[in-house]
Amino acid sequence: MKPRILLLAFLLLGLTAAQAQMNKVNYTEYTMDNGLHVILHQDNSTPIVAVTVMYHVGSKNEKPNRTGFAHFFEHLLFEGSENIARGEFDDYISNAGGMNNANTTYDRTFYYEVLPSNQLATGLWLESERMLHAKVEQVGIETQRQVVKEERRQRIDNRPYGSVLEESMKRAFTKHPYHWSVIGSMDHLDAAQEEDYVNFYKDFYVPNNAVLSIAGDIKIDEAKAMIDQYFKDIPKGTKPIYRPNIVEPPLAAEVRDTVYDNIQLPAVVQTYRIPAQGTDDYYAVDMLSTLLSQGQSSRLYRALVDEQQTALFVGNFPLALEDPGASIAFGIANMGVSLENVESAMDTEVDRVKNELISEREFQKLRNQIENDFVTSNSTIAGIAESLANYHMYYGDANLINAEIDRYMKVTREDIMNAAKKYFHKDNRVVLYYLPKPTDP
Amino acid sequence: MKKIILFSLMAVLTFTQCTPKLADATAKADDQKTQVDKKAEDMADKAADKTAEVAQDFRSKVPAPGPAPKIQLGSYDNFKLSNGLEVIVVENHKLPRVSFQLFVDAPSISEGEHTGYIDIAGDLMSKGTTTRKKSQIDEEVDFIGATLVTDADGIYAESLTKHTDKLVELMADVLLNPSFPEAEFDKIKKQTLSGLAQEKEDPSAISRNVTRVLRYGKDHPYGQIATEATIGAVTLDKCKEYYNTYFKPNISYLVVVGDITADQARPMIENYLGKWKSSNDIPKPTFETPQMPEKTSVDFVDKSGAVQSVIAITYPLSLKPGETDVIPASVLNTMLGGYFQSRLNQNLRETHGYTYGARSSLRSDRNVGFFSAGASVRNEVTDSSLVQFMKEFNKVRDEIVGPKELELVKNSMSGQFARSLERPQTVARFALNTFRYKLPKDYYATYLEKLSKVNAADVMAMAKKYVRPDRAHIVVVGNKDDVVEKIGQFSADKKVNFYDPYGNKVELKEQSLPAGLTADKVIASYIQAIGGMDKVKEVKSMSMTMEAEFQGMKLVNELHQQEPNKYSMSLSMMGSVMQKEVTNGEKGMKAGQAGTGAVEGEELNEMKERALIFPELTYAEKGYKLALKGIEPVDGKDAYKVNIESPSGKKSTDFFDAESGLKIKSMEEIDMGGQKAYQTAEIQDYKEIDGVKVPHTMVISGGGLPMALTMKITDIKVNNTIDPAIFKVE
Repeated sequence: MKPRILLLAFLLLGLTAAQAQMNKVNYTEYTMDNGLHVILHQDNSTPIVAVTVMYHVGSKNEKPNRTGFAHFFEHLLFEGSENIARGEFDDYISNAGGMNNANTTYDRTFYYEVLPSNQLATGLWLESERMLHAKVEQVGIETQRQVVKEERRQRIDNRPYGSVLEESMKRAFTKHPYHWSVIGSMDHLDAAQEEDYVNFYKDFYVPNNAVLSIAGDIKIDEAKAMIDQYFKDIPKGTKPIYRPNIVEPPLAAEVRDTVYDNIQLPAVVQTYRIPAQGTDDYYAVDMLSTLLSQGQSSRLYRALVDEQQTALFVGNFPLALEDPGASIAFGIANMGVSLENVESAMDTEVDRVKNELISEREFQKLRNQIENDFVTSNSTIAGIAESLANYHMYYGDANLINAEIDRYMKVTREDIMNAAKKYFHKDNRVVLYYLPKPTDP
Repeated sequence: MKKIILFSLMAVLTFTQCTPKLADATAKADDQKTQVDKKAEDMADKAADKTAEVAQDFRSKVPAPGPAPKIQLGSYDNFKLSNGLEVIVVENHKLPRVSFQLFVDAPSISEGEHTGYIDIAGDLMSKGTTTRKKSQIDEEVDFIGATLVTDADGIYAESLTKHTDKLVELMADVLLNPSFPEAEFDKIKKQTLSGLAQEKEDPSAISRNVTRVLRYGKDHPYGQIATEATIGAVTLDKCKEYYNTYFKPNISYLVVVGDITADQARPMIENYLGKWKSSNDIPKPTFETPQMPEKTSVDFVDKSGAVQSVIAITYPLSLKPGETDVIPASVLNTMLGGYFQSRLNQNLRETHGYTYGARSSLRSDRNVGFFSAGASVRNEVTDSSLVQFMKEFNKVRDEIVGPKELELVKNSMSGQFARSLERPQTVARFALNTFRYKLPKDYYATYLEKLSKVNAADVMAMAKKYVRPDRAHIVVVGNKDDVVEKIGQFSADKKVNFYDPYGNKVELKEQSLPAGLTADKVIASYIQAIGGMDKVKEVKSMSMTMEAEFQGMKLVNELHQQEPNKYSMSLSMMGSVMQKEVTNGEKGMKAGQAGTGAVEGEELNEMKERALIFPELTYAEKGYKLALKGIEPVDGKDAYKVNIESPSGKKSTDFFDAESGLKIKSMEEIDMGGQKAYQTAEIQDYKEIDGVKVPHTMVISGGGLPMALTMKITDIKVNNTIDPAIFKVE
């Protein structure tokens, strides 16, 4: 009912990019002969287990004329396998008392099940079927094409501000595949041929491109034996895996544009290009975003929403991406306030960070907020399994689940000021004005 | 079930929403069977080399589960402060953090003409105390990386263990010393009002409101809904009064969860909340318990232009938390419409493709429970969907469920229960419910045992008791013209009741048209009403500027018409032109978000038609088809409804005031990306210009507009000389 609450939820939930943990997370990891990396975390406090597989393929691995394919594939891989008839995937999960889910990003695709712990074998069986011999029939392809089109309508076309990311990224990037969206082009999906499916599966859905991460009520030795049974014989991929090595040139000059959307309140969107996740500068940018956006005492919220009341909502969200990415600042104008006014107020707050070193107290607040987020982020076994897989896949170091906080704590007040100067300047950004779509009166 | 997440700002939000996938919406069950056997297209064949050397036996079927794990329900401690505050502590030291939920178990009260003030009161508590301004509270909460929110039910606060003392101090300040600042009150009221304005256009929100009013009645607190009028009537004093009356320790619970022991919590809570004063005169209003309707009614809310009907089949029922029926009834509901593989979802979505998702709920409540089943369905299948709903209701009442299906439902429910125990908050919720509803101490500990004992006969007994298609409100929010004629058959008396979006009954007069009246005559009296044929025919040109406020921005519409075929229209917002259409009678062009381009063919003809100031004059000569459809109320006035179809097939409906003859409403069918939608114009405020009456206000709604737009003429000239440059096509 009240939009600000919804938007606050976006803000809070959008800020889960970085994850760590204060209580040490113990784990065992090893790589099988076929290249499958396995990570096991034992926590017997609740009799449930999360079985997850992360494939190192996202929209950035797609061919430019087949955008949206990675995500489409994720839909298809629920269709069935040699041993699982179409539509039965969900029944096996429900019957076992479990739940399942999956998602795709620019960089990777992630599948998971949470099951009662005596159903671990069922989870492994389902995931091994998906990796070994998934089966997709024409009827499934046609149905899922429709489903993805409905999904696009629901998530992007029909949701207020749903196109912000797509519209921003396509202007912030011109060469790197981040310039197309994860859901991609519906025309490309229509044009896809059988060989596209076969090749994509053969290229990317191989054990040497995956991490099997399991957390919960397991015994390590028993789990290992079961994993061996279901995954040992899955053959290793034979081809090199395509990883784009494309360096996006600097923007050089500010890009400005207007987008008309099904919205009620106009918004300004500033997209700044930022470094890749895991770099020293990324951590500084992330803390800069926390300073600007997290909590009602944050710089942007206090100035624009509370004091000037020019914005209904404002925030800045860095995207943690494997290659250099972007941080998106987003302000929704209050009734009767011009976007110019909102934009200049946002700029003023960024300029303040560039010109005045933040106080010790505010710096301490940032560190406390970061610490709190770390502790809170791994409160479920499914979350721990995903974090372990992430840290291994992107950094080759699953222990960052315990240690990444140190990287944040190394960031100084000067680093935050320098990050603002280095990345949050006009020539490094795209500015979009979102306006309500006109209708013939 | 499985959701596909895009990496977007909203991604993590959608992650938490369990909307069923649209998969297979169009595929028929039969097709699936034939396709499953057909392997010709099978991708896996092409990848057969992967499978060749693997010995397969264990792969061919789902593995047997291991021995069922013991489900351990976490324990809790509890103690009571001398002021009556009941404290529940659930220890969990996995993470170094603690949360506090202060729950004020206030009775339901009637908010009447001020409905909404309780929510505003709750929101206001964290917006200032006697010693802290809002900005100070915000800064101190953020400084320790904590969360602190207040609502009508109380307060939720959490932080790392090491900040616990500060957190409880802040929470206590907000709870005991709120200052209810006027400026923050005004801010919240404004935000609530804009929220309501948005809901007005939302058929699902209308359905929620009307459903509540019909189910419980407006005298019961559950049936009271906030409207612009009731929010407008909320005063700061009402909010303070609520706080002063009901925020009392002796009806409240403090639920503490996390890295803390009861021994640690107790002195801290005594220290900060011990001084909170109890009250012996907390009112306990009672209300008559709403009952199921005597017989089934069809209750319709007209949302002209809607492309989907929102169906809700609902009634109140008597089912209190902890009663023996609760668990078997929840098995029944899960099977009927409570999970992805439920009967309703399989039928309406997977088999028939009528909807993106169909579901049902059956809720216990200490005052009055309810049943509700519903879906959003395409207009044309509204009646077919109701047939399927009724079929499933009767089936669950009349046919015993098979063992396989019952097992699937129960397995799914026990798994859900087991998974929920991962969160210590679940244990806390169980403890709170045990206190609030005075449940047996082992109610949740024995849940799985009770669930496993539910048998097919129990499910049928529950269905007979709680699934009552014979005593329901069938609430449909939809497009009257497309839907209403076909749904009367589902009510006991074969009639449809009409309601406004707030659940007030609307009387539709069944009026017969005056004898001999035709569409042509209605049009003729309209021409007469605006000035008479002679005067109207004299009008050869017109220029006008209209303005509207749209979320604080000024929209300006400039229109020039020069008969017979010159026309120019531009629409600008905040000074910049967003859309423009021009024809000079030969060529045409339009400019807008899709770019600038020439207009040709049928579209150009249509554009030229827009040069006609009173198109009604040429209906006969051009071959428009007119049909007089009856009398309907428009804004409380009886109006003749005339359907109009142009020679090219464009459809619209005009409404003419039966008394004055003036056109007072017009609806036009428009194409929105392949979907039909209606745009409605309410035509008001006729003023005479050079002997001809011209409406000076138009309220436009529908057709993708998020809210109604009121356009007012700020400048108008009739029979003026229009600069030819205005019609220039570049």
